[in-house]
Amino acid sequence: MTNLAQAVSGMGQIEDKTEEPVRAKPSLSRFFVFRGLLARRAEIALGIGGSVGLLLLWEAAARLGWTNPVFFPAPSTVIAAMGRMIVNQSLLWHAGISTMRVWVAFLIAAAMAIPIGILMSSYRVIGAPLEPVIDFIRYLPVPALVPLSIIWFGVGESTKIYLLWLGTFFQLVLLVADDMRRVPQEYVEIASTLGAKPHQILKDVAFRAMLPGLVDNLRITLGWCWTYLIIAEIVAADSGIGFVIWTARRYMKTPEVMAGVVVIGIIGLVTDQILRAIHRRAFQYL
Amino acid sequence: MNTPYLTFDRITKTFGDIEVVAPHFDLGIEKNDFVVFLGPSGCGKTTLMRMIGGLDTPSGGEIRLQGVPVGPPDWRRGMMFQSYSSFPWLTVAQNVEFGMRYRHDLTEEEKLARRDHYLDLVGLYEFSGAYPNRVSGGMRQRVAIARTLASGSDVLLMDEPFGALDAQRRETLQVELRNIQKRDAKTVVFVTHDVEEAVFLADRVIVFSKRPARVVADIDITARLGADRHLDLRDSVGFFELRNEILRLLRKSGAGHE
Ligand SMILES: Nc1ncnc2c1ncn2[C@@H]1O[C@H](COP(=O)(O)OP(=O)(O)OP(=O)(O)O)[C@@H](O)[C@H]1O
Ligand SMILES: [Mg+2]
Repeated sequence: MTNLAQAVSGMGQIEDKTEEPVRAKPSLSRFFVFRGLLARRAEIALGIGGSVGLLLLWEAAARLGWTNPVFFPAPSTVIAAMGRMIVNQSLLWHAGISTMRVWVAFLIAAAMAIPIGILMSSYRVIGAPLEPVIDFIRYLPVPALVPLSIIWFGVGESTKIYLLWLGTFFQLVLLVADDMRRVPQEYVEIASTLGAKPHQILKDVAFRAMLPGLVDNLRITLGWCWTYLIIAEIVAADSGIGFVIWTARRYMKTPEVMAGVVVIGIIGLVTDQILRAIHRRAFQYL
Repeated sequence: MNTPYLTFDRITKTFGDIEVVAPHFDLGIEKNDFVVFLGPSGCGKTTLMRMIGGLDTPSGGEIRLQGVPVGPPDWRRGMMFQSYSSFPWLTVAQNVEFGMRYRHDLTEEEKLARRDHYLDLVGLYEFSGAYPNRVSGGMRQRVAIARTLASGSDVLLMDEPFGALDAQRRETLQVELRNIQKRDAKTVVFVTHDVEEAVFLADRVIVFSKRPARVVADIDITARLGADRHLDLRDSVGFFELRNEILRLLRKSGAGHE
């Protein structure tokens, strides 16, 4: 109920925001300046308003009986289910387990991919033999490798980590190599004419120059990790969000399934925003 | 007869099929000389400088510094590039300081003093804390100039260093560069397309042909204008004659210089 009320008032705000300037200047075209900037407040209002509007539409559709609640329950029902799951099924604990798996696999993948990727593009003798192999593995769909990894690792924790690692490492290593390749040769030459040795150029110049791109690629790859996590948890787990979703599905508990999906979405959104904020702060010079 | 400080000995340089310098290119540069390269665009001036700096290697022949073949780059041969790059993640002052980063013969205090001195020289002291992406193109160029000078190299290789500067700043820096070069006994190889700049700065102007580069003329400016340069010199008859003479040479060598 409160949800609905909030949503309504949110929508009213949006209309105010968009209508007011229109009245002030009788033209919509000032909002459609090609590559133009939007005021920060308008940006936030539209961002929140868009999501709230969508939720509202969904809620209305469910309440007015346009959709079958068994397949498409209202947002309020999903939130209620989420509350129940937090209390009765330790949803947060499962979310924590999933997050931990993602981060462990992601950190292992990153710790391996960053040095290997850098070496691959710094020394062609390393890059030339590795590239075709990595490119091949990169195109293998992770789900296709599930049976193999169960044969190798059983159904324990290591299988899930391995699958996630598989899905991210090979992508990341090529992205890192690419970031390194894009470091302008000029930077390298400036440092070398100032007397820097190759390892100093790598550390003081090339790595610094590639860092913004690297952080961005890490953020994107972390998102992919979540995709593989669900696959891994569906096939071989007794814990984690994927397991919760899959169990709920078995009993056709659509609100619970959706609640699980929403939790992943929220974790993803929050992580992404935090990493973006770190990026903005760390690379203010850009 | 002494061998020159810096010698090009029967150099050839090709990029694939492109012959950049004429076969058996020979050139000697004396210590503490200010040498300016003039020549049509694309004739190979940058390539010659890069070979001195050790960033490119000749396809044949040898470049020697004090009789020793030049190796990979080091800080004694400082290079200022045509594109005036600086590192975007360092502030203006940090960029200048980076010029001395790998010089272990200087103390921290010496480095800071030198940094401030050269920041001041190029008029960027008040922009010390700014990032390169936040300052103008001409200011970025001055960052590169200050960094190159701060590095303290014996041989300064400067590729059109004053290209994007306003006229006044340009004159100031020309005078300063000439002073630094004489005071600190540096050997400078300088590329420009501005003939007046060349005459004003150089002890010796070398005019190149179109690619493949060949020396068309080798003019001893100091013999005709003296070593002492001040801004009034630009109004003298001798300066004017030299300028016209070089412009004629360039026209003949096939460049579209104004
Ligand atoms: N890395 C490279 N690969 C292939 N060709 C090159 C390379 N570097 C330079 N060249 C060629 O060598 C020739 C000389 O280039 P260079 O940059 O030395 O000319 P320049 O005299 O400095 O010209 P400008 O006055 O325009 O700066 C050009 O024709 C160029 O196309
Ligand atoms: Mg050039």
